[in-house]
Amino acid sequence: MKVFVFAENQKALLELCCGARQIGERIEAIVINSQDDKDTEVADKVWSIPQQDNAMLEDYTETIAALLEREKPDLLIFEPTKRCKLIAGRLAAMAGTSVMTDLIELTKEGEGSHLVYGGAAIRKEKLNTSLAIATIGPGVLQGSKETGKGEIELFPFVEPIRKIKVLNKEQKPKLSVNLPSAKRVIGVGRGIAKEEDLGMIRQLADVINAEVGCSRPIAEAERWMPKETYIGVSGLMLAPEVYMAIGISGQVQHTVGMNRSKVVIAINKDKNAPIFGQADYGIVGDLYKVVPALLDQLK
Amino acid sequence: MSDDRFDAIIVGGGIAGTVTAYLLAKEGLEVMLVERGNYAGSKNVTGGRIYSHSLEKIMPGFAQEAPVERKITREKISLMTEESNVTVEFSSTRLGEQGSDSYSVLRGVFDQWLASKAEDAGVQMVTGIRVDDLIVREGKVCGVIAGEDELEANVTILADGVNSLLAQKLGYRGELAPHQVAVGVKEIIELSAEVIDNRFNCREGEGTSWLFAGIPSAGKVGGGFLYTNKTSISLGVVSTLSELIKANKTLPQMLEDFKSHPSIEPLLKGGKMMEYSGHLVPEGGFHMVPKIIGDGVLVVGDAAGFCINLGYAVRGMDFAVGSAECAAKAVLKANKAQDFSAGFLQCYQSFLDESFVMKDLKHYRNFPHFLEETPRIFNGYPGMAADIMTDLFVVTGNPPQPMMKMMMKHVKNMGMLNIAKDGWKGVRSL
Amino acid sequence: MNIITCFKVVPEEQDITVKPNRDISFEKAPMTISAYDLNCIEAGTQLAEANGGNVIGISVGAKKIDDSKLKKNVLSRGPESIFMVADDKLENIDTYQTANALKAVAEKIKDYDLILCGEGSADLYAQQVGPQLGQLLSLPAINSVSKITLADGKAIVERTLENELETLEISLPAVISVTSDINLPRIPSMKQILAAGKKSATIWSAEDAGIGNLSATLGVIETKAPEQMDRKKDIVQGDSEEAIKSFITKIQEVLK
Ligand SMILES: Cc1cc2nc3c(=O)[nH]c(=O)nc-3n(C[C@H](O)[C@H](O)[C@H](O)COP(=O)(O)OP(=O)(O)OC[C@H]3O[C@@H](n4cnc5c(N)ncnc54)[C@H](O)[C@@H]3O)c2cc1C
Ligand SMILES: Cc1cc2nc3c(=O)[nH]c(=O)nc-3n(C[C@H](O)[C@H](O)[C@H](O)COP(=O)(O)OP(=O)(O)OC[C@H]3O[C@@H](n4cnc5c(N)ncnc54)[C@H](O)[C@@H]3O)c2cc1C
Ligand SMILES: Nc1ncnc2c1ncn2[C@@H]1O[C@H](COP(=O)(O)O)[C@@H](O)[C@H]1O
Repeated sequence: MKVFVFAENQKALLELCCGARQIGERIEAIVINSQDDKDTEVADKVWSIPQQDNAMLEDYTETIAALLEREKPDLLIFEPTKRCKLIAGRLAAMAGTSVMTDLIELTKEGEGSHLVYGGAAIRKEKLNTSLAIATIGPGVLQGSKETGKGEIELFPFVEPIRKIKVLNKEQKPKLSVNLPSAKRVIGVGRGIAKEEDLGMIRQLADVINAEVGCSRPIAEAERWMPKETYIGVSGLMLAPEVYMAIGISGQVQHTVGMNRSKVVIAINKDKNAPIFGQADYGIVGDLYKVVPALLDQLK
Repeated sequence: MSDDRFDAIIVGGGIAGTVTAYLLAKEGLEVMLVERGNYAGSKNVTGGRIYSHSLEKIMPGFAQEAPVERKITREKISLMTEESNVTVEFSSTRLGEQGSDSYSVLRGVFDQWLASKAEDAGVQMVTGIRVDDLIVREGKVCGVIAGEDELEANVTILADGVNSLLAQKLGYRGELAPHQVAVGVKEIIELSAEVIDNRFNCREGEGTSWLFAGIPSAGKVGGGFLYTNKTSISLGVVSTLSELIKANKTLPQMLEDFKSHPSIEPLLKGGKMMEYSGHLVPEGGFHMVPKIIGDGVLVVGDAAGFCINLGYAVRGMDFAVGSAECAAKAVLKANKAQDFSAGFLQCYQSFLDESFVMKDLKHYRNFPHFLEETPRIFNGYPGMAADIMTDLFVVTGNPPQPMMKMMMKHVKNMGMLNIAKDGWKGVRSL
Repeated sequence: MNIITCFKVVPEEQDITVKPNRDISFEKAPMTISAYDLNCIEAGTQLAEANGGNVIGISVGAKKIDDSKLKKNVLSRGPESIFMVADDKLENIDTYQTANALKAVAEKIKDYDLILCGEGSADLYAQQVGPQLGQLLSLPAINSVSKITLADGKAIVERTLENELETLEISLPAVISVTSDINLPRIPSMKQILAAGKKSATIWSAEDAGIGNLSATLGVIETKAPEQMDRKKDIVQGDSEEAIKSFITKIQEVLK
């Protein structure tokens, strides 16, 4: 199987190329203006597209389409970013196929698995077209050793028919927390009554050496925490050693993002809250009584 | 008719409201029904048994079409103590005969079916909207207010349930006092149809109604109920609010204990809890009926207090239907005369008086009172029955006593006079 | 100005149940509007309110998406009309088929200036239909849009990406996929719901729409609930002082 790889970030490209070895015999990377030999160390071939002034990443879609048309790979995999998903979708429409997005597994046979119904189920699917397109997290395909051939070929840029004008572009402020690599995570949910009470949760996090994440409504509806810190199917997928859910009901959309944690602890005042069905330890109680007691006694 | 004006606006998409709306729309009136839940029935709780007689009159043969669960053909009543349970069982083909038949129902689906009937008849359903207030001009109710919107009607019908805030706003009743309401909590537990048929000895499509006095309500006025549905069991506990305040257990705890009672637990084994709900029950019966008629307004169903609480069983759905029918008759008459004054609408009261609604309420008028005055039903007799049965059936190796003597010992403990008094009072209150 | 908003009709997520063999069951799940498409409809309605114009809701799927309550729900949120292809031939279609079916609907409507899609559908969350639809219609397509303003034949949009914020200018017509934080979907009022009852919905079969034999590009092998991790489920009841103490003793072990 011939696999093409495209990514927005170089680190993801390298990981995806290494990982792709598990499913394909020949790995070729598509890179905008390759100049770094790191690419060539992991891929059997690197297709380098000359960088254009003032072009968005999306403006290379037609060029990739032309490359696919000529080289006919069996599988094209993308890093699962928003830009890549847009490019993947447009390419799929041109090629007459669908895209398997956000895969959590991909086999040699081309069978991809991804979460559906908000995480309530995992669907295994397979594209039956000659070209298959997928977006897949770099961590999913565990990389094997790097075996590049160091071959680079230039592929000419194809002018897009419809251009979108970029008026402005700014970097988002970097988050100081790195939840995916935290060993312990506290998740807070709607059980907290007001934004100020996050202070108490942060104190507890300090005491037990954890980072704080949240359920989606805390980030999206209340906006008490940054969007990048919510856990679940449309947010972060974590697997810390300890996850403590405080005032979180435990809907699947949330729990798929934390159920690979080693130990789960839950604090909720509703004994029927589904979170208790997925917890190792728990207490049915008011977090406003339990958290201060924890602070007091764990110090 | 302008866009914002109706012949009748009905507040509340429970059984009372939906049936009223259906009957009016069927006769060609422009009717709007407003329900605050996302669909009719979404917030409604009932034990689970509807006596069919009243709805049968309005929609003959409804049980064939409606999503009813099981036809009740087996009645059980138990006196329950913490460790024992004495049960009387009654099964009769008469229970299932048309006219005296009854069915277990789940309101979520049943109310939606009723609502679809109403919509088919031409009712404009508005769900997901709470009516906040009424438009009142010179003492006459002229329509409803919800958020920023106002809509007018010749007559407004309050079918907004036991805690009718709108009737309260009109000053037709005060706030509910603890002795006027009971509280019920209920779980729906899923089991397969075959398991239910086996465990409850039911024929396919038929089911059991089972009521419990004694320990489910911790010996306070109230009790437990269990109804079999197609593929689930409705199980709950009801207790009067005033008694609950005195009890040393919360209602949810009572339900937990009831579920783990040795004679209940095996019936639920392997079942999955599907739904948990709590709701108020109007308690006072005949004595609690508030003002229900005003200029341009009528009150029906639970909002009018049309409900009987027998302690361990509640009957309100057939009254909801019955009062809806009377209200619809009154409104149709008023519509003909184009007179929606309180004076003209008094015919609602006459229709009620002639119907089973008032007759039955009157019949049971002293019953709730009797129950509260007679706590022995809940905290004495279950124990006595259990003691008698224990002496009869538990073999310890001690010399047995003659049956009569043995029974009299327990009866004496309770006080012969008390039993006689309770019996007499109870019979009189019926 | 005609704005098309695409909404998917999906089984109500909360009512999806898992069978003992980990199959999932939709028996008790009524059909509902896909959660993020409420934002999509709201975005269309707000644009029409601000710029004048007409919102048209479109959806494709199996026969059961043609549900009167659901259509009324959509129409109470702003759209003036609905066009649907509701046909059991379109049961469980993939994103390519969906985009093609939506394209057919858009082409039948003909006169439109903007097509809006949600961030992702509540069932598949593929985030693909918008980009594919744009490509199939040969229109500019953009995703992850958190703000839209319209000005003579153009849309100025803000786009929220993983690490960047972009402001873009797109010529119309275009297909724009909006995020769920673009707005807070309204709760329809009593009068809006009443008015919805009088608006129109047009339902086509797959044949009517000329998509009678669209074949699938994707085969589904199986759909199963994930296996549950075995958890201790050691839950302390109540928050009395002793209860909290015993809870702390248990978790202290873990937190050491
Ligand atoms: C397509 C889609 C994708 C989604 N993606 C995500 C996602 O990625 N991540 C996510 O989190 N959600 C997601 N959701 C939302 C998800 O369905 C739930 O709505 C959400 O997870 C609920 O958040 P919560 O548990 O904080 O709030 P709630 O469900 O409101 O729960 C609050 C809990 O706090 C408890 N509580 C209240 N007061 C106290 C107190 N004083 N002490 C103790 N406990 C208390 C309550 O008993 C309750 O259980 C998604 C939804 C959809 C439709
Ligand atoms: C635990 C329990 C067990 C019971 N068991 C039985 C039984 O076995 N048999 C029996 O016959 N009866 C039983 N009953 C009683 C029966 O359920 C009620 O008498 C019956 O539901 C009354 O119907 P209703 O239409 O008057 O009120 P409801 O069913 O309460 O309907 C009122 C409706 O109004 C809506 N509403 C309220 N306020 C507003 C507003 N402001 N704007 C818009 N909508 C509003 C509510 O959402 C609701 O849908 C039981 C009750 C309980 C609580
Ligand atoms: N069957 C459908 N009918 C109408 N719109 C759809 C349909 N499927 C997807 N969409 C639209 O496309 C968006 C993305 O869907 P998806 O690619 O499935 O995640 C949704 O939010 C909808 O706006």
